[in-house]
Amino acid sequence: MSGKLCLKDVKKSFNGRVVVDVGDVTFGNHRIEGLIGPNGAGKTTMMKLITRRLKADCGVITYMRDGFDDVVVNPHEMEDMARMGLVRTNQIIHDFASLTIRESLLLSLATDHHEKFYKIFNDKQLRKETEKEIEWYLDYFYFEDPNGHALSGGEKKLLDIIRCLVLKPNFLLMDEPTAGLPEDVTIKVMELMKKKAQDENISVLIVEHDLDLIWNLCEYVHFMAEGQVMIQGTPEEIRANDIVAEKYMGAAVC
Amino acid sequence: MAGSYYFYIFSNMAIFVALATLLHLQFGRTGIVNFGVVGFFGLGMYGFGVFLIQLNIPYFIALLMAVALTGVISFLLGLVILKLDSQEVLVATLAFATIIADLVVVQKGVTKGVIGLGSVPFPIQAGLYSQHVFFIVVLIIAALLIMYAKKLEQSPYGRLLISIQDSELLSQSLGKKTFREKLIFFTITSAAMGLLGALYAANVHFLVPRLLGPGTTFTIWIALIIGGRKKVFGGLLGVLVTVGIFDFLVETYVPIPTGQAQLLPVIKMMVYGLTLLLVLMFKPSGLLGTSKKTTK
Repeated sequence: MSGKLCLKDVKKSFNGRVVVDVGDVTFGNHRIEGLIGPNGAGKTTMMKLITRRLKADCGVITYMRDGFDDVVVNPHEMEDMARMGLVRTNQIIHDFASLTIRESLLLSLATDHHEKFYKIFNDKQLRKETEKEIEWYLDYFYFEDPNGHALSGGEKKLLDIIRCLVLKPNFLLMDEPTAGLPEDVTIKVMELMKKKAQDENISVLIVEHDLDLIWNLCEYVHFMAEGQVMIQGTPEEIRANDIVAEKYMGAAVC
Repeated sequence: MAGSYYFYIFSNMAIFVALATLLHLQFGRTGIVNFGVVGFFGLGMYGFGVFLIQLNIPYFIALLMAVALTGVISFLLGLVILKLDSQEVLVATLAFATIIADLVVVQKGVTKGVIGLGSVPFPIQAGLYSQHVFFIVVLIIAALLIMYAKKLEQSPYGRLLISIQDSELLSQSLGKKTFREKLIFFTITSAAMGLLGALYAANVHFLVPRLLGPGTTFTIWIALIIGGRKKVFGGLLGVLVTVGIFDFLVETYVPIPTGQAQLLPVIKMMVYGLTLLLVLMFKPSGLLGTSKKTTK
């Protein structure tokens, strides 16, 4: 059930400034792909266009998954795309201030069937249905107070990722997942992603500045600068590429 | 007629408690800033009055029609305003309530305007005890509403509503159809406000446009904020310490010189305002509110 995304002539500008201008790109040909590029290259904006958090000015984004018809993203709403298994973890920390960790995961796991205004006695049933899964995550990851709220920024970021994972996406976009996460948690998350990509056939696209992580984890890497996906290739090819070195890594080395 | 007067006041209070609990559901749970409570309340009140008195429709059918009318209007209004941000919702609902109040004054042919419309009898006739029975009816409705709100707190739907209040975008990114759910919930809770308006009509018997002034909205809001907007019992407590103290204790037991009686409503609003100010200063999430993480 892995997913694939095709972008054709997708453009987005803010106040006349072109932020994303992608000619023809496909994501998801490999299980785990990386997306790198300097700050302001348009990586986050492109991801928001893909999940329909933002609407592209023009162009076509097509979302494909096995066993389903292809879907053109543009006319849909973000929640429709999420329901079709296209989900993005947030770069900036987002959390539901009033919900505890468990409640947050219960929210993510609840479906239309559970969420009806006249169904106010079905909480036990939902908790029973989802207990195993929630316990597994709370067991695998350490939270200071698993019965309370996510306390630190790192915990909130981790919770954001888990909330997306329990949705069982076909295509998961991860926007700088390691920013704000402690290193040991990052390793655990990435191990889990590897396993999930393999076992559950999830396509993953990771935006990261931690290049070691990209080289180690990704089978294929897209390099983005000035709103365009300029170069694509295996991690080795990208590392050796002069333009990438000049526009991105050069700066990183200095 | 033993103590009918008390039960008249108690019935009004029960209706106000129910209204405040509905506002808790809309505002405290979901984050819908309904500043036009009296609009929905008044639509149910006058809808019922017109159906019953002017059109001679049987009592309970007229009641149902008034609720349905309020529901349909709420749905249409929600369709337009629920995508807007909270400040715009505030202004739009306030404007809606003002329009309803103005229409009631202007459309004399339908509502009898300032002359007034009456009289609306109690739903259950029990001779001398009609007022008592009525009180029990509205008390049950208020209790059911509070129980619903309590149960909703720990239910999947309740969490969905909270997530909308906390961060609608994040909720959408998890696949939640937030607009649809807001619209459904707004329609139902506003229609329930219409039902309470219709019952209020039965309690006061005689409808005049003055009943649709913004004072009702302010009172409900002040009561809920004082009690604790995010708390299920916030509305109950808030109404008891505002309407309960003033409309009941003060008006009944405090000897007021006849010449000063007209000052009472003014003093009432001033005291409400002062209480609100004190609560906001020292306990911003309300008397029942927790002190940690109040506004975020």
